[in-house]
Amino acid sequence: MSFYAELATATNFSFLRGASHAQDMVLTALLLGHKGIGIADRNSVAGVVRAFGTLEDLRKGVKPVEKLREGSGPGEYVLVDRHPELDQPFTLAELQARAKTFKLAVGARLVFTDGTPDIIAYPQDLEGWGKLCRLLTRGNRKAKKGECILTLPDLVFAASGLSLIVMPDDEKPGLDKALKELSRVSVTLWLGASMGHQSNDLRRLHHLRLLAQAHGVPLIATNDVLYHTAGQRDLQDILTCIREGVTIETAGTRLEVNAERHLKTPEEMERLFQPCPHAIAQTETFLQTIDFSLDQLRYQYPEEPVPKGWSPQAWLEELTWRRAELRYPQGIPSKVRTQIESELVLIGELNYATYFLTIYDIVRVAQDKRILCQGRGSAANSAVCYALGITAVDPAEHQLLFARFLSKNRGEPPDIDVDFEHERREEIIQHIYETYGRHRAGIAATVISYRPRSAIREVGKALGLTEDITSRIASTVWGSWSGVGLPEKHIKQAGLDPDNPNILRAMNLATRLLGFPRHLSQHVGGFILTQNRLDTYVPIANAAMDERTFIEWDKDDIDRVGMLKVDVLGLGMLTCIRKAFDLIALHHGKRYELADVSAADPESAEVAGVFEMLEKGDSIGVFQVESRAQINMLPRLKPKKFYDLVIQVAIVRPGPIQGDMVHPYLRRRNGEEEAIYPEPGPPHDKDELRNVLKRTLGVPLFQEQAMQIAMVAAEFTDVEANGLRKAMATFRHNGTIGEFEKMMVTRMIARGYKPEFAQRCFNQIKGFGDYGFPESHAASFAKLVYVSAWIKKYYPEVFACALLNSQPMGFYAPAQIVRDAREHGVEVRPVDANCSAHDNGLEDAPDPYCALRIGFRQIDGFKKDWSERLVARRGGNYESIEDLWQRSGVPVRALTLLADADAMGTIGLDRREAAWRIRRLPQDDPLPLFAAAQGRELGEEDDMDLPEMALSEHVIADYQTARLSLKAHPMVFLREQFAAEGVLSCKGLDHVPDGRMVKVAGIVLVRQRPGKGNAIFMILEDETGIANGLMWSSRFEKYRREIMASRLAVIEGQLQKSKEGVIHVIASAVHDRSDLLDALAISHRANPQLTRADEATHPVQQRSHGHPRNRRVVPKSRDFH
Amino acid sequence: MTDRLVRLAIQDGRKQGEHPLVVVARKGNILALVGADANARRQGLRPGLAFADAKARVPQLEVAEHDETADADLLERLADWCDRYSPLVAVEPPDGIVCDITGVSHLFGGEAGLVADMENRLRAQGFATRIAIAGTARAARALARFGRGGIVPVGAEAHSLAGLPVEALEAGEKTTTGLRRAGLTSIADLAARPRKPLAARFGDQMTAILAQILGEIDRPITPRRPLPDFVAEQRFADPIGLMDDIVFALTTLSQNLCKSLDRHGQGGRCFEAAFFRADGKVTRIELLSGQPLKEAGVLTRLLEMRLEALIDPLDPGFGFDMIRLSVLAGDDMAAIQSGLDGKAMASGEVRDLIDRLSARFGAGSVQRFVANDSHLPERAARAIPAISDESPSGVWRQMGPFGVPARPLFLFYPAPTIEVIAEVPHGPPRRFQWRRAWFDIVKAEGPERISPEWWRKTSDTRARDYFRIEDTAGRRFWVFRYGFYGIGTEPVRWYLHGVFP
Repeated sequence: MSFYAELATATNFSFLRGASHAQDMVLTALLLGHKGIGIADRNSVAGVVRAFGTLEDLRKGVKPVEKLREGSGPGEYVLVDRHPELDQPFTLAELQARAKTFKLAVGARLVFTDGTPDIIAYPQDLEGWGKLCRLLTRGNRKAKKGECILTLPDLVFAASGLSLIVMPDDEKPGLDKALKELSRVSVTLWLGASMGHQSNDLRRLHHLRLLAQAHGVPLIATNDVLYHTAGQRDLQDILTCIREGVTIETAGTRLEVNAERHLKTPEEMERLFQPCPHAIAQTETFLQTIDFSLDQLRYQYPEEPVPKGWSPQAWLEELTWRRAELRYPQGIPSKVRTQIESELVLIGELNYATYFLTIYDIVRVAQDKRILCQGRGSAANSAVCYALGITAVDPAEHQLLFARFLSKNRGEPPDIDVDFEHERREEIIQHIYETYGRHRAGIAATVISYRPRSAIREVGKALGLTEDITSRIASTVWGSWSGVGLPEKHIKQAGLDPDNPNILRAMNLATRLLGFPRHLSQHVGGFILTQNRLDTYVPIANAAMDERTFIEWDKDDIDRVGMLKVDVLGLGMLTCIRKAFDLIALHHGKRYELADVSAADPESAEVAGVFEMLEKGDSIGVFQVESRAQINMLPRLKPKKFYDLVIQVAIVRPGPIQGDMVHPYLRRRNGEEEAIYPEPGPPHDKDELRNVLKRTLGVPLFQEQAMQIAMVAAEFTDVEANGLRKAMATFRHNGTIGEFEKMMVTRMIARGYKPEFAQRCFNQIKGFGDYGFPESHAASFAKLVYVSAWIKKYYPEVFACALLNSQPMGFYAPAQIVRDAREHGVEVRPVDANCSAHDNGLEDAPDPYCALRIGFRQIDGFKKDWSERLVARRGGNYESIEDLWQRSGVPVRALTLLADADAMGTIGLDRREAAWRIRRLPQDDPLPLFAAAQGRELGEEDDMDLPEMALSEHVIADYQTARLSLKAHPMVFLREQFAAEGVLSCKGLDHVPDGRMVKVAGIVLVRQRPGKGNAIFMILEDETGIANGLMWSSRFEKYRREIMASRLAVIEGQLQKSKEGVIHVIASAVHDRSDLLDALAISHRANPQLTRADEATHPVQQRSHGHPRNRRVVPKSRDFH
Repeated sequence: MTDRLVRLAIQDGRKQGEHPLVVVARKGNILALVGADANARRQGLRPGLAFADAKARVPQLEVAEHDETADADLLERLADWCDRYSPLVAVEPPDGIVCDITGVSHLFGGEAGLVADMENRLRAQGFATRIAIAGTARAARALARFGRGGIVPVGAEAHSLAGLPVEALEAGEKTTTGLRRAGLTSIADLAARPRKPLAARFGDQMTAILAQILGEIDRPITPRRPLPDFVAEQRFADPIGLMDDIVFALTTLSQNLCKSLDRHGQGGRCFEAAFFRADGKVTRIELLSGQPLKEAGVLTRLLEMRLEALIDPLDPGFGFDMIRLSVLAGDDMAAIQSGLDGKAMASGEVRDLIDRLSARFGAGSVQRFVANDSHLPERAARAIPAISDESPSGVWRQMGPFGVPARPLFLFYPAPTIEVIAEVPHGPPRRFQWRRAWFDIVKAEGPERISPEWWRKTSDTRARDYFRIEDTAGRRFWVFRYGFYGIGTEPVRWYLHGVFP
């Protein structure tokens, strides 16, 4: 077979140009019998790691699988096998053999801004790679985000070590000049020729031959590839339309004239280049110049954290023991001592000491700045990390899992994410830049890909479908990848004609567009730190944010090339806990840190008290367990000790719920069912499964457990387990899971397990998919669950205050937080011009708790510097509006807000009177000189005799200005009317027997449609409490309007009480009574704030489009439209 | 605006949607409702609501983009129409019209009669209306917009409007909220209280409006300016119906119109002649011109031709009581200096010819070619009416980069099939037969492959390979192979698409 390698290949990382994944390119080239391939995207190397990874996998005999991120949280991705029908004439083994000799050149297609034609550059060696990366970095840094400014001199300067192909272009005049200048500095220079079935192919080829001869540059054959098969032409046309912002009807000659720019067989290429066969032969010569592969990139740890004279390992050991002694003033327990020892050995063997030291260095800075932080991830739950203060999960109290995750053979780098207080994370980031410098520290990229909604929207636009049609289709796709698989059903659901070819075409193209990268964005906090220049590893680009730069590779790419990253993330709950600790110190005189709040002794009254509270489902505001689903689970799970919280955090997730793990676990936990651990036959360890599953009572709940079962009970090797993991995620689409099924079941039987058990075990893992939550993360989260619950239990006023001051975060709106505090016996005092500060604060009050004083920050639109001025100049008290205005110097706008918020109580004015007086003040800020004079001018005026404001009106106004009212609940005013209609109060439901038909009314707090979407949840609130409503989706359409639009709703339905006392109303009807709310106060339109968990106003799916800075703490659920 | 859409739908004979109709427009970043029909309002969809919210509540919606110009046009036309009631008419966007009916109501049987007449006529045209008559324009406006309409007895404004909400002041969100927050929710609340403190807080403007609403002071309306910049009209005490009279009137009108065009250095591109029949029917005739036009003689001649060429001849019924000639679209047009020989430039004559031909035979009958943006040769050019000023979507192909004309000027349509002897599978023709004659090919170049436009509903689904070929006699042809040998079951066919000069 003839030698040919395609060297001008653009993947879909040539955004909106290339129409194939890098994986497909590599695989197709292999199948067609190419001897190699060169991947070169426009001014970018963002896609090359994927090509590299695919080839690596193929060499190991693993079929390429694509990983699609669904969110930023751990485990939030889907693996999609896009080659299910890979009916190649080869077996995987043959493919593997071919892959081993296949050569991959990685580089970039340099696109110039000075009229120079495109030049494809491949590094010949590591040094060349560094040159290319720095060249691209220079171009990127000159331009704004997503662009790159390069000129020919830039390349001439950096040409050594690069093999170059000049791609002639009729539109670009600089061909001659480029050849002339480059041939002077480079001996590895080629002139690219393509036979694209254009009108003048042969004439052009002849012309190029002459030109090549004139410059002494060899001609090389390429096909200037945009996609892997001709069938992708339509998708490429659509991409062109999206890029140009035109519809396919009007795109005209902006589209490619034909479908020839795909990978062709070597024979076909030979035929096309018949007049010039040496151009084909040159591809072999070219590849011989390339001696670079991405596995040559050798990552070097920064040396800062290691003092001179120490080896990293020795320094880590020294530090660990030193700090461990501080952690355990009474002496290090022997259990911990042995664990630290074994961990240090493991770290030594794997050479990870610098990694731990780097993280320690960052954490230490945070501690110096008194910023709370906590590590999580596989390596974070170690005794070493506890000693170093990276995590607060004490190994003496809990069974730690370190060695289980950091296996010697896995070859995966350790994983530690560090969460910081979200309000102060920026300080840490700045510290990292300062310490390591911008040339050595960079943030990883996040590849923003097409998701169902964006795909259908853009494809629809390109096909000329109207906005309302595409949005209809989009609205039926509930944010899941699998959902698109059934276009017809969705089209019908949207009320459109499934036989309409245009709509089918749009769906088809959108499905194919899924997962295509759209652009690069900076990752939330994944830092790469290196010892030498970062831009010799990977190009750096400007981010949209000023003073931010990010590298071109994302987390997975970085893993692939073995670079280590440190995740610096923000977590709202840490901010809240820090604020709470500060308030406790200030008002109660006790200083706490995370590690001080310990659940070590479940017997002690203090710890038991916390669990008692959680068991009741009293967890509003508590980290992770505050959602409706979690609150309902708490009374059933009845957590008694720390590990129960780890399970609680992990169990209310789609994985365990869909895998039906929840009920078996609950039955076993409640003693209704015995936990059985099947045993293998001799000579195997009969407790092998017990060891894996004991802590979850025999039910696999965590991601790690699924893999362990396969490795322990069926003796899967690491590679096999990895394969299983990939197959598991994609079992919906292909048959490879069958192989693993057979492998696992037969091996388990061979080892003496019962066949039924083996089969059941496998089914369980299969159902589990990749949605499981990692135990390592759950453990770290559980710590914060406990700490926040502890604060809530013993310092409810502090907890409420800190939560309010850390908003926006969590599920609940201020009104619910305040209400919850009051129900726990906290006195809450209204916002007041003479008493409040900007933040909510605490004031002395009769025991046991301080009183919570609402701060100015609760007033919508009130600026911080107004608050500061108000407080600083308060002196004694402000005595009148004029006094307040003149002395504080805040603008009239601020006074108006204060009056509207009814914050003039101590001045003796209600909101109406106050607002009336303020309205008279001149709107412009007066010059200081005239301020006093003007005061006098405001003499007496006619008495307006304003109508008195009703209490109901006050309440609604409170809601409107501060989103909460301390005066009353709006429902109070409607109670009489509702009672007459036979509507019960929320509390009233407690006394109604199960099964009775009831009506209940309240303000709508939350609407959710979790999981598979077959039920809609609504939570109502009235003056007595809350009520849960549930409506099956079959009835939803009928009441869609009411559910989506009501602010005040009446739910009618059957009462259902579970034995744990959880009450639901199974709704048969919902009525919108919002008009009553409006009628309460004509002057103030009340919009009770929905909680942040509400999916109709805060669709969960949108979060992934927006900035994922607020870490996802919501259990994953579907979008709601 | 929904009325306009429904009227359009009825006009086009489309079935009226059974779903609520809303009109949406982009406001900042969100798509929000700006109009809703009665059906939609019943379902709680009101202007101001975000479209996504509306969609969530009522998934089955008829949606239309807000077309501000069209709405404004319609309002203008309505105002035109209102001329029948009073000469003093003002438009109050977005959806109001004020007429000063001082001294005219007796013509319609008193105020009640006028209201009834107006209501009936407008309903017949498909408009929902609320009509109010009051002593001041402001009071009438308030009553129509915020009350139920109706007729306010003389001097009874304060009483009749007392129940209106303070929104009726239309003093802006801020003032309205301020008043409501102070507990002053109705006009009555304001009327009873001292004005000075109100003025101190909300400005004199607000108290002035209040006084107007209460009928205390009045401000005359500003009658709207006739909108077409150039308009000439003639009213006839006795309706005219004879063609000669009409032509005579048009001649006069053309002269008047062209005079004012000339004064402003403008020429008309689009004219409209409106014939107002005594019984209220209005016939409008549009006239397009390829070049800016301001010669009265030409205009009259074109108008005459247009009238003659009408398929539905102008039906004067009981005669026209008014004819109006207006310029709907114009262009700058500097006076052209004629050449020394006294003749206008030749191209001007061609355009003049085009105008005349188009006026006589209809715009669609005189066409020219424009470049069209497409790879497919037969789509790369398009014929459009010669007087249309539509700009081409593409550019004409230039010579190829190597001095070769890429495509022939002359294309066959449809392309005839030819019998070909060619090298299989990829080669160019060696011989071909066309119109029973054989041509031997000595030179060939290609193929240039052009793929079909996959997004079109068409039977043209295979790629074409074009060859430029030359036969022994030096004749050059552009032929293409439709499909590939050895792929697919359909036979490969050859076509002759064009000839090179």
